[in-house]
Amino acid sequence: MNAAQVEVLLQTLIAGVLLGGLYALIGLGMTLIMGVMKIINLAHGELMMVGMYIAYWMFSLFGIDPYVSVFIAGPLLFFLGILIQKYLINTVLRVDSILPENQVILTVGVGMILASAATIAFKSDYRSTPVKYGTSAFYLSDLWKGSPIELSLSIPWSVSFLFALAITAGLWFFLQRTDTGKSIRATAQDLDAALLMGVNVQRMRVVTFGLGSALVGAAGCLFIPIYYLYPALGGQFTLIAFVITILGGLGSNVGAILGGLILGLFESLTATYVGMGWAPVGRFVIFIAALLFLPGGVASLLRRRAFGK
Amino acid sequence: MKKPLIPLAVLAVLAVLPFSGLSTYMMHILILVLMWTTIGMSWNLLGGYCGQVSFGHAAYFGVGAYTAGLLYFKLQASAWWGIPLSVAVVSVFAFVLGYIVLKLRGPFFALATLASGEVLRITTENWNGFTNGTLGILIQERTWVAKTQYYYIILAITAFTFLLVRRLVASKWGYYFVAVREDQDAAESLGIDTTKYKTIALVVSAALTGICGAFYTNYMGFIDPHIVFALHDISIITIMIVMVGGVATQWGPLVGAGIMVLLAEWIRSIPGLGASHQAFFGVLLVLIILFLPNGIVGDFRKITRLFGRARA
Amino acid sequence: MKRSASGLMAASAFLLATAFGHAAEPFNLAIPLPLTGGQAKFGEMMKRSYEMAAEEINAKGGVKGRKIVLSFEDSQAKPDSARAIVEKLIDVKKQPLIVGEYTSACAKAVAAVANERKTPYLIVASADDSITQQNYKYVFRQNVPNAYYAQGLVSFLREKVQPKTMAILYESSDFGTSGAADMEKWAGKLGCKVLVKEKYEKGAVDFKPILSKVKQAAPDVLFMVSYVMDASLLMKQIKELRLDAKLYAGGAAGFALPEFVDNAKDAAEYVMTATLWTPQVKYKGAKEYADKYKAKYGDFPSYHGASAYSALHVVHDALSRAKSMKSEDITEALKKTKLQTAYGPVAFEDKDGYQNQCFSETFVLQVQAGEHETVWPYAYANKKFIYPFPRWRDRK
Repeated sequence: MNAAQVEVLLQTLIAGVLLGGLYALIGLGMTLIMGVMKIINLAHGELMMVGMYIAYWMFSLFGIDPYVSVFIAGPLLFFLGILIQKYLINTVLRVDSILPENQVILTVGVGMILASAATIAFKSDYRSTPVKYGTSAFYLSDLWKGSPIELSLSIPWSVSFLFALAITAGLWFFLQRTDTGKSIRATAQDLDAALLMGVNVQRMRVVTFGLGSALVGAAGCLFIPIYYLYPALGGQFTLIAFVITILGGLGSNVGAILGGLILGLFESLTATYVGMGWAPVGRFVIFIAALLFLPGGVASLLRRRAFGK
Repeated sequence: MKKPLIPLAVLAVLAVLPFSGLSTYMMHILILVLMWTTIGMSWNLLGGYCGQVSFGHAAYFGVGAYTAGLLYFKLQASAWWGIPLSVAVVSVFAFVLGYIVLKLRGPFFALATLASGEVLRITTENWNGFTNGTLGILIQERTWVAKTQYYYIILAITAFTFLLVRRLVASKWGYYFVAVREDQDAAESLGIDTTKYKTIALVVSAALTGICGAFYTNYMGFIDPHIVFALHDISIITIMIVMVGGVATQWGPLVGAGIMVLLAEWIRSIPGLGASHQAFFGVLLVLIILFLPNGIVGDFRKITRLFGRARA
Repeated sequence: MKRSASGLMAASAFLLATAFGHAAEPFNLAIPLPLTGGQAKFGEMMKRSYEMAAEEINAKGGVKGRKIVLSFEDSQAKPDSARAIVEKLIDVKKQPLIVGEYTSACAKAVAAVANERKTPYLIVASADDSITQQNYKYVFRQNVPNAYYAQGLVSFLREKVQPKTMAILYESSDFGTSGAADMEKWAGKLGCKVLVKEKYEKGAVDFKPILSKVKQAAPDVLFMVSYVMDASLLMKQIKELRLDAKLYAGGAAGFALPEFVDNAKDAAEYVMTATLWTPQVKYKGAKEYADKYKAKYGDFPSYHGASAYSALHVVHDALSRAKSMKSEDITEALKKTKLQTAYGPVAFEDKDGYQNQCFSETFVLQVQAGEHETVWPYAYANKKFIYPFPRWRDRK
């Protein structure tokens, strides 16, 4: 391998890790919701879009940096999630129906309403937040003059990545150490047992959905400095979130992060060495492979090791 | 009226509709309604009766459509041969796919089927030499300008599907399907080969959907991967049709397709509504699922009761 | 009771109006467009432009004394919806001609119906080459087909750049695929080797893997066919990677929109793009239209808007010349169109395997100091092109 090829490989790996970290955050919200409630939320990407619009308007109207908006969009999306869960999804789950999957259609409807409302309110214009550091990067050749290869590390991508890690760590702490967090995990692991132990399952569901929405809203804020925004953008991120959820294992935090990283790396490597048009195929191939060969996701591997099995 | 007479009566009404002086616009809408009814009925066999909620019926629709399209594009044959051929192609395809995805349950099955549709879309887009990639396939001259012939062809397909699904559901297999839906483990412990019956339901359901795909190619005259493998516009619409109409009911798909196509078109063309027609439709979906969780046909009693009370 | 009385009054008023004021009966024209979904941005721009044109035409007395009343139908960029709309317009609304649509897939669906039903259809901004290669008698296209989009750019390459190598990136759509294929053919004629040719899924987040591959190949020219936001993302990430090519060129569409510069900011500087029309072009009415649009909506329109705006004038012209409001007569009139519009001279020819196709000059824009400037061909240029331009590390 000559220097140029090494450069391409390293640059691809950097891109993959950064992308993976961001993917992980999108997946976290979904894995939480799916883990606790076993429902498929097809409005996930639309919730992210809402988060992005919040960040966008905060930036354009008040000049608030999108990274600061994480703390605004997160709570707002939390309440939006609570409303959706409490008044819509719980209502449907409570009723006995032939196929419990009819809640999916509900989320499709919610997604349509959100996307359409955004189109009416903000037109279908493409928007982005032109932050000053938008295209700045660290360059290897600036640090090491005689470097045989040139590598770059985008500043906003790195910041978003670190934010994603911090949020994930915060979530982990919440789930492991707080009472509410423990109740949520109990609900996810065994609904009946949780009920017996006196966990208010309804309440946990509401909180979980709120939390999941807040996470994806935060992900939206991290995405907007490096990406862009328009009302119909949700769908593709919903799909990515699914892939990560399955890859990582339902309800597993660590799994979502690893799943995100695997997906990011896999997509980047496919783009470089197979062809960028095939990258999405790669995405779904690992998705199906994970469903088949690793039904518990990456998390199940970790657990197996932990128990020494 | 005796029960078997109702389908005959509906068929008779549908058969004479073209003579009532409908505009070609209405005929187009009706053709779409019938096509979606057929897709809905076939989805219902797998999803409604057998309980396997597929999010990837676009895969079968698309394979059917491309079977017809490629016949024309590669072999210069009439795309109508795609209808019989798609049955074979889609069945084999569904059998293989079923071997992979039917091991999975619940949301995992749903997501695996969703992924399979997407994989096919992207493969078709990238496999330029074989599928003409994103340029799609254009049939230069459609067989007929008038709508009547297409209408009767799709009506025949719909009637056939209706009968087939009805027969299957009433047969012993039908009971096995429902047993699988209600409790797969219990069904297995009773000695039902659940994989076998799930595969049967999947293959039949897929083949019927594939026929619709082949019909679509002939009728629309242009297909590309984005159109025929669409996740939202095909796979999810299919589920909505059945769920809005009524899961595991005979008439649900017809009612659902009527609502999803006719009503959607009607709402879309309300002047002045502009881009907000989608919001209206979204609200409507939410309301139907909230108040009629088993769909309009499934919860028909609820509706009549409601109106009965209002009258009293 | 009250309601029926007022209904009666309305009905009689309508009868009176039709009896006495036949000339005042409006000419209803419904236009199919994508107003929701990912393509809605373009639909909106065209809608505004049609409305501006209709206003002008009505101010001057409308079509044969009848006011044009526009309405818009959302096709959601779905071919079956587009087809439903057009079937309705032809059959129920008895509209004698069709204008509109944006995506090539929808235009194909509409063209097939219009031709079968012998109703003229004027295409405004759908690029796919094959649409006007089907021997359709009733389908007219005002914008040049995709194969010609880059004509101006290619002449610039031939005369000023003489590239030896090229890389092509394009989105996986009808438009991207055919645009890339056409550029590959041009490159062959220029004696230029295509080192990398890669497509990507629209809406991709990260182009850096593929861009580092391009960087390694070090082509003279990097040609990209993309929609707006992919275009800005590409340039931003090119800047981040310090991928230095002699020339970055876009194949119209995204690169030609003001949003491209707004979003890519300094990364957009010096980027050239093919385009079918520019606000600076010296056609009569072009500047007025562009300024009016900007005053009203805050941004300059791209060729999509200009084409829509002029298309309505073409329709007005054809309707005014047509012997009657029947489709056959309108088709005949359209065929004989010779009109100077803000979009350029419009005439429909049968040439090079195309039918009823309008051929017009294409241009090269370059982003200079954050503005799209017309730099090629010479005769139309308002600024001199800047070439070669500084490498990324030397830029401020």
